[in-house]
Amino acid sequence: MKITTLTLALLALPVAHALAADATYRDMTPFLDYGKSPKASDDAKHTNTWQYWKDNKNLDTKRVNDLTEFWTVNWKYRDAPYDDTLHGGHDAQDRGEVLYKQLNAKGEFATCMGAKKGNLKGLRLAYPRFDKAMGGVIGMEARIEACAAKQGMKLENGSYDNTAVSVYITAFSNQMPLKIDVSKGPLKKSFERGKTLFHMKAGWTNFSCATCHVSFVGKGLRGQIPTTHYGDIGHWPTWRSKDELQSLHVRFTECNRNAGVQPLKIGSPEYNDIEVFMTALSNGAPVTAPSQRD
Amino acid sequence: MKKTLLALAALSLTAGYAAQAADALPSNILYDATKEKKTLWPLPVKNSGELKYNEHRQDLSKWPTLSYEDKRPTRKPETVTLQGPLNGNAENGKKIAMNTQRGNCWACHVLPGDPQGGTGGLPLMNVGTWGYTDAHIYQQIWDRRVANPLAEMPPFGSNGVLSDQDIRDVVAYLQSLK
Repeated sequence: MKITTLTLALLALPVAHALAADATYRDMTPFLDYGKSPKASDDAKHTNTWQYWKDNKNLDTKRVNDLTEFWTVNWKYRDAPYDDTLHGGHDAQDRGEVLYKQLNAKGEFATCMGAKKGNLKGLRLAYPRFDKAMGGVIGMEARIEACAAKQGMKLENGSYDNTAVSVYITAFSNQMPLKIDVSKGPLKKSFERGKTLFHMKAGWTNFSCATCHVSFVGKGLRGQIPTTHYGDIGHWPTWRSKDELQSLHVRFTECNRNAGVQPLKIGSPEYNDIEVFMTALSNGAPVTAPSQRD
Repeated sequence: MKKTLLALAALSLTAGYAAQAADALPSNILYDATKEKKTLWPLPVKNSGELKYNEHRQDLSKWPTLSYEDKRPTRKPETVTLQGPLNGNAENGKKIAMNTQRGNCWACHVLPGDPQGGTGGLPLMNVGTWGYTDAHIYQQIWDRRVANPLAEMPPFGSNGVLSDQDIRDVVAYLQSLK
């Protein structure tokens, strides 16, 4: 057998170089034009499905029930008020309330989380954020773990109880639009890193996140149809109908495995950066908690 | 770079890749070297503040990850020349193509007998009538990036996923679809 190794993918080279100082070559799925201040409605320039899912009070019933069109409503038919069924996310919210009241008995936990005068309304919108004490950009669940430890309670990031507290806190921001600013500072750098990671190929498949959610968006992958990567963050954490309460990072480990990619530890800087990237792409879309998804 | 290898060398190439990878694993992957499959995944347990870690069905640490510590490059596109007669087993090739844990071709391609074939790639219902040579199809499966640097199809040969004989079998199966 004769093997000639070619140097190809010139387009991707500058991107790969930007990430690693020693310029490890990695294949990339080409970037979309994300601009400096991305928002959910930018999907109009991508899959152009935003028009169908921007208002989940008025989803098109025909579209929701069509096997080839349902992906265009971006799963929003699973959110209240379109869907008001009782599910495991509500159990988690109740569990979160019990834990929160234990944690916040002295009022310190809420302050540690960044709530003003103990008011949880809008707190979810402050995450992910740069956290000097924690050494970088973090998601809300990492902060819950750290603040719970100060109260003597172990709430491992990604565990059911950590995520339950996250659902409880998140629900106070229900229907409020996400709004993280990635135009400057540490979040801008995190956004850029997350953008690169989202398009970087990995695993036995040599797939990136963007392989399915950009290149194959709307295509059938044996019964599953990948949806847009815009407007997805408002419903996290979520109750998966396979009976599992998942934080966003736990979901990332599942995405990785589905794509044949080695998963990373929950709370890893890489997952934080992808969270920042995806949250920016959800700016303007509302928080919906508790939520459920397939 | 140009190398001439024996056809059998494809397998040892795969093994070499894995051995090289084990030396440079990032510290922040979900991995336990003492477990059979090594790759782990986290399961939230109801009303618990701790995660349970289960073994994934295969060791995924052998390929580049998304960790910032990972210095392993993407394997470069490989141009291969099919040597000798095809000697492919179409029946075995079908099993590889329609096995989610092996070729998993049906994830993206429509194949006969699969009512939910994917639409990410071309439908292959009658690919045997398209007039492609065995060598062409062999190259596409080994590494489609040679034809298109931005191809999203897994490089089954270059990434050590399927062996030389596996790919010969899949080529024989695809050529039988008429």
